[in-house]
Amino acid sequence: MIAWSTAAPAISAAFLASLVEVVEAFTIVLAVATLRGWRPAALGTAAGLTVLAGIVLLLGPLLGRVPISSLQLAIGILLLLFGMGWLRKASLRAAGVIPLHDEEAIFAAEAAELSERAHRRQRNLGWAAGITALKAVLLEGLEVVFIVIAVGAGRGLLVPAGLGALAACAVVLVAGAIVHRPLSRVPENTLKFGVGVMLSAFGVFWTGEGLGIPWPGEDLALLLFAALFLGGGLLAAALARKLAVVFA
Amino acid sequence: MMTMVKELATELIGMFFAEKRLAIAVLAIVAVAGSLVDFAGLNPLVGGAVLLFGCLILLIESVCRAARVGAS
Repeated sequence: MIAWSTAAPAISAAFLASLVEVVEAFTIVLAVATLRGWRPAALGTAAGLTVLAGIVLLLGPLLGRVPISSLQLAIGILLLLFGMGWLRKASLRAAGVIPLHDEEAIFAAEAAELSERAHRRQRNLGWAAGITALKAVLLEGLEVVFIVIAVGAGRGLLVPAGLGALAACAVVLVAGAIVHRPLSRVPENTLKFGVGVMLSAFGVFWTGEGLGIPWPGEDLALLLFAALFLGGGLLAAALARKLAVVFA
Repeated sequence: MMTMVKELATELIGMFFAEKRLAIAVLAIVAVAGSLVDFAGLNPLVGGAVLLFGCLILLIESVCRAARVGAS
């Protein structure tokens, strides 16, 4: 039986991170569907999901063969690199140093690129549209797969973390089917900030475990790490806002 | 096909090394923490503290540096 105190951070991190990634993939698939119809969009999406499933089936069993401390160390370091990168960017966006991620703008840019291709050559445009959808699903999907493995593998929580990611897919698909336009009202930077905090906290935790550091309070130490990264991110954003004014 | 594989590889590397300076500094902190735990004979929690607070300091420094460069 899995304890909720252990599973909840993994499930919520997988859910929130996947929500961000699936919204990004959905925007591009929707642009393809709007311009070239649902057939290439659906085929590209299905092909992307098939490649992803193949990667998971191929690499999944290998995880069980890696010694747990090596797995924790490798995943912890990757999580630190990934999570701190997200937190850094989210802090800079919160400070107004770099612009916010704009789903409407991405939708418009993707639509413009497909329209330009349509002007250049009519043939194989369905193919190009399908490839665009495939790439979006594959790229964002790889990030989802990494996050699920990263937050789930160290404690045997792959299934709960995977369910969190699937729930995020379901939420985005249902919301997308209802509004039928880019999900621009999702507070993406707030989500990215939160996910960056959680992934960085997991990163320190797993890296430490992999190095043989016995964290006081065991899994509860994750909460302290998350609180410290939240404080650090907010402090960084506040300092960046001031610096941007001083150096402007 | 090759173009797409190259794009995928670039994206994958970018997931972890988008900000090279921060990534290298994080790897250095992990190496220092690991050395303290394995070779220095100190309490492992000292290595843990170096890892945790080192990462926090790196994060704040990286954001502030980007703000200075971005604003000037």
